Amino acid sequence: MRNSLVLDKNYLSYWLRQIRQKMSLIAPIRVGNLGVVLKTVENIHEIELNCPASIPSAKEFLFPQKEDMFRLSEGTVDILRNDTKRLIFGVRSCDISAIALLDRFFGENFVDDYYMSRRVNTIFISIVCNNPEPTCFCLGLGTGPFLKSNFDIQLTDIGDRYIVETYSKKGSDLIKDYYYLFSKPKKSDYETQYEILLSSQASFEKRINLENARQKILIERISDPFWDWIGRRCFECGGCVYECPLCTCFNVLDRVKSEGSGTRFRIWDACMFKGFTKIAGNIWPAEKKGTRIKQWYFHKLLYYPDHFGKFGCVGCGRCTITCPGHIDMATIVYKIDIGDKRRR
Amino acid sequence: MDKIPTVCPYCGCGCGLYLCVENDNIIGVSPVRNHPVNNSSLCVKGWNCFEFIQHPDRLRYPLIKEGGSFRQASWDEALKLIAARFSRIKESSGSDSIGIVSSAKCTNEENYLMMKFARAVIGTNNIDHCARLCHSSTVGGLAAAFGSGAMTNSINEIAYARLLFVIGSNTTEQHPMIGMHMLDAVDKGAILIVADPRRTQIAEFAHTHLRHRPGTDVALLNSIMNVMIREGLVDIPFVKRRTENFDSFKDTVMKYPPEVAERITGVSAEDIKKVARVYATEKRSMLFYSMGITQHITGVDNVCACANLAMLTAHIGLPMTGLNPLRGQNNVQGACDMGALPDLYSGYQKVADPKLRKKFEMAWRVKLPSTPGLTLIEMFDSALKNDIQAMYIMGENPVISNPDASHAWDALKSLDFLVVQDTFLSDTAELADIVLPAATFAEKDGTFTNTERRVQKIKAAIKPFGESKPDWEIICALSREMVYDLNYRATHEIMEEIALLTPIYRGILHHRLDNNYGLQWPCPDVTHPGTPFLHRMKFAKGLGTFMPVTFVPPAEIPDKKFPFILTTGRTYFHYHTGTMCRRTSTLEREYPECLMEINPRDADSLRIKNMDKVRVSSKRGTIIVSAYVTERTPEGIVFIPFHFKEAAVNLLTNPALDPSAKIPEYKVCAVNIEPVK
Amino acid sequence: MKTKIKGIYIPSKAEIVEILDMTPVIKLFKIKPKRQFRYKPGQFVMVSLWGVGEVPISITSTHGLHEYIELCIRRVGHVTSATNLLKPSAKIGIRGPFGNTFPMKNARGKDVLFVAGGLGIVPLRPLITSIINEKNNFKRIALIYGSCNPTEILFKDDINIWQKKGMHITLTVERKDKGWKGNIGLVTEYLKRPKLSFRNAYAFICGPPIMIKATSNGLSLIGMHEDNIFTTLEAHMKCGVGKCGHCYVDGKYICTDGPIFSYAEIKKHSLFD
Repeated sequence: MRNSLVLDKNYLSYWLRQIRQKMSLIAPIRVGNLGVVLKTVENIHEIELNCPASIPSAKEFLFPQKEDMFRLSEGTVDILRNDTKRLIFGVRSCDISAIALLDRFFGENFVDDYYMSRRVNTIFISIVCNNPEPTCFCLGLGTGPFLKSNFDIQLTDIGDRYIVETYSKKGSDLIKDYYYLFSKPKKSDYETQYEILLSSQASFEKRINLENARQKILIERISDPFWDWIGRRCFECGGCVYECPLCTCFNVLDRVKSEGSGTRFRIWDACMFKGFTKIAGNIWPAEKKGTRIKQWYFHKLLYYPDHFGKFGCVGCGRCTITCPGHIDMATIVYKIDIGDKRRR
Repeated sequence: MDKIPTVCPYCGCGCGLYLCVENDNIIGVSPVRNHPVNNSSLCVKGWNCFEFIQHPDRLRYPLIKEGGSFRQASWDEALKLIAARFSRIKESSGSDSIGIVSSAKCTNEENYLMMKFARAVIGTNNIDHCARLCHSSTVGGLAAAFGSGAMTNSINEIAYARLLFVIGSNTTEQHPMIGMHMLDAVDKGAILIVADPRRTQIAEFAHTHLRHRPGTDVALLNSIMNVMIREGLVDIPFVKRRTENFDSFKDTVMKYPPEVAERITGVSAEDIKKVARVYATEKRSMLFYSMGITQHITGVDNVCACANLAMLTAHIGLPMTGLNPLRGQNNVQGACDMGALPDLYSGYQKVADPKLRKKFEMAWRVKLPSTPGLTLIEMFDSALKNDIQAMYIMGENPVISNPDASHAWDALKSLDFLVVQDTFLSDTAELADIVLPAATFAEKDGTFTNTERRVQKIKAAIKPFGESKPDWEIICALSREMVYDLNYRATHEIMEEIALLTPIYRGILHHRLDNNYGLQWPCPDVTHPGTPFLHRMKFAKGLGTFMPVTFVPPAEIPDKKFPFILTTGRTYFHYHTGTMCRRTSTLEREYPECLMEINPRDADSLRIKNMDKVRVSSKRGTIIVSAYVTERTPEGIVFIPFHFKEAAVNLLTNPALDPSAKIPEYKVCAVNIEPVK
Repeated sequence: MKTKIKGIYIPSKAEIVEILDMTPVIKLFKIKPKRQFRYKPGQFVMVSLWGVGEVPISITSTHGLHEYIELCIRRVGHVTSATNLLKPSAKIGIRGPFGNTFPMKNARGKDVLFVAGGLGIVPLRPLITSIINEKNNFKRIALIYGSCNPTEILFKDDINIWQKKGMHITLTVERKDKGWKGNIGLVTEYLKRPKLSFRNAYAFICGPPIMIKATSNGLSLIGMHEDNIFTTLEAHMKCGVGKCGHCYVDGKYICTDGPIFSYAEIKKHSLFD
């Protein structure tokens, strides 16, 4: 990869510490025995570099589950935008690909200020996945385990060093400010990187072909009984939507403090709920769970590619991890692909 | 942004989750990965459990009622007033004229403090909590049968069981994460048997669904055991080695052959035989039950029958077996463990036992009352007779959750003095003389014990709203105004005392619970890793006891005037009296009004169409709800959830109590239905 | 196409100047927004009642004719029950205008048919006014307007004006009352009444979903091109700007790709569900 640099692992904490003086630092931190989450770093040495790829996504940093939009008091509107400068370290290629698509979604037609003000003030350092999880399937979608474009800074772990690549101006500016930490890669570094990327690609357990599923849906128009059967297992928890780094639906509500004052906020919503499409007059268009599940999959497999030219899925596998009923992209695509309409 | 690990405040599953906090605002929730209960998932309530925390309806400051309406007061004024009144009533009418209701939603530390407050500060054993209304039959029945009344096995064993017998539990709606494990087991090839009059979501996945008539559980279970004894499917070595009283039990059970049970329950003899054979022969069989078993006048008998079934087949004391009551509230197991009960100290140590009482007297340095106190419903009855003159209610809403709710309302109105401590101004709080604002689960430290005896730590994510305080601080502050200062500076100090006095919690201390999946009691010392399943070598009381039980019909059966059976329960989207979940936008939108489930043939005969308004009346009251016509509910029965204060179904329910556990019969009463023009 | 509206989620103040009762449940609000904006026929605004909620309401006035905008609101749900209780000089919030507009230019030189059912006349009114104002650019213009009963016929004065200016009007009711001497039945029974050259004509339809379906179908059966039949769809909306997802159906956002769609598009994307 052109213009790569090398960072010795020993200098990583120094670099992050320097960055933290200028902006807030968020990275994967282990919480005791409970697991790893992305949160504001207090102690740099607590950053967990070997965490699973599938920890909750960085979507909530750009589009939080609950976000205050404006405060109203005595007729004046106080717009609540978040423009804290932040660096989010340790996300993966699937997350970055998802964010690139979110940028397009929130930026097209009407620009969503809340998302954008968080987005322009956030810079991402992503890490290539040397060891994909059994639930990952980004390989077939071009969204991982490494990216060739549309990232800020990408690190590949080649043992005692990182290969450091930049793509955006934000990324290259950040490197320029600390040029003294980096050196030029040797030929053997490139070779090690190549081997690692090959071995990572080879270790994917799931080989899911979304394009086949899309074709099958277009041609055969998978019948409703298939979706109704899947719907029996749905717990209506919303987890697939909440965890998916590409799902962006929300509800808007007012929290009234007193007459004419309070806060308007938005909160994650999910088309998986039957109240999502409820119309005044007690009309519930999407009563059946199967209908709603079908719409979610069609959105990701058919409509998203029609509009954005890419699938509405980055293969992160979080829906697989979180669904209590085991309905997820990998399973559904597999079933559609092999024409399985039998009982599970 | 910070992520605070804590535990969901809704049901007894006790799912691990992180609260996301940004700039002192809780802005989201995320499941803990690989948690033994929820395993990276959450149900819809868990995903939305943060929204009510910073709701504007939250009580901000103490309220004192003057001239029929509330005014703001300072903590000092409110606490001094309460202390003075309690002291005066104690002096003039005795300690037992004060009744205390603790909260199954509050932490272990708070429940322990509340029962210590009742006993050491007020001097009464009149302390109880809502477990009386849901699982007191379990505590009583299993104490008699095994010596210990809790879920015997663990949730993460469920997926590996070979047979699941679920009776009286709508698991996927009430304990969704436990339901998830059950469906995992079914995927792996386990057999699922569900016994429930209604066709619940879990019944859709069952291999056999027994739709017995409400209140006929004893007949059904006795008959299943009858088949096992007759066909030689009993584990005789186990029965001989580890149990007692088999012969007396066998005589009773032989009176319930399948043909007799078929007449009583409506379940075919063939199905009874099928279930008996498969449950007995499968090695890893787990039995689950919930309100459908406990909330009857024969609640204790129902639980004993379940215990008999587990012992008869030796499906107890091993992993992937056991008798598993699914507890409702997030900390109802803990509240029972902490002794917020009229006849037990923490760890189920009997108040009436002089040696145990002396241990607590020495630890607390005060003389303690020796007579067991009144149970929850008895307290309300006593209030009406003016034997109880004052009550202190923490985190409970009896005006909506008690059976025959208008009786609770009358009782509270007749009190001289009522103090309610809660997070929102509930219907019960409206009747109080003084209301104290309490902090939610996200604003305090402490521990919750879930249904599988797992004690987990909760952590404060934000500072308490307004001037509200964590319940433990309020109880301590109140005690400071009275003779006995409870005097703790932090919740871990309370836990240390609990550990010292409670053998099953002996090894459970806060530093052992930080940032991990918790410990399951019994945990007898600080190096013990916790106990995933109980009764391994022997039962808690040594030998298990077979309790012979006979079928007794429900207290109120349909007649000409009230021809339908009303059964009450919960729905997936809401939780109990709705103080938290109805202030959550997504949950309220999914299920905005009270719906009565009625069978299509019944609806036709009453000329009711879907979503028509109907009036439902019983001997005790009447409400108006919308009808929801569905095949889920059998003919002759209607189902109404109890979450909606504007259609409070407990105005209709029967306060008939189980004679020993004193649990009301929520599951059966007789009603009349007519369309509203 | 990035829009110049700043703060798309922030409502701007508007004052209710006058309220007219049109039927017991329908009121016409004349609203003066603090910040004037241009709007085209077919567009809608998100009306914000603090503490109650927001709803999308079609603008029924024509830009440029007055300094106030007109919104016709029927009491149906939570928010509209609250708007029903408002009095003049009450303040509300307005966001917009959002949505696409009727393709008026394409219909130039052709016959134009309007079919309205019940409240469907509301979003069609500004288009009718605009077309009548430049009626020399069009050939024959006709309106078929069906209501439940005669008391529910809205904008009677406007209808008279349109008739005087040469529009062919067919009114029909489902249930007549004592004084009604006119047509009875559904709009679909009167589609051929105005003698238009259907093969080249344009149609603009609005009304309840069943009526739109039946009318579009009926018109295509008598020879109209599916690309030339347009309707405006309703949906539950929370943002109006294509982000919240509530109005998303089969790949289309009703608020930004619509609310105006051609019958061909509706059939292709099965937007009727």
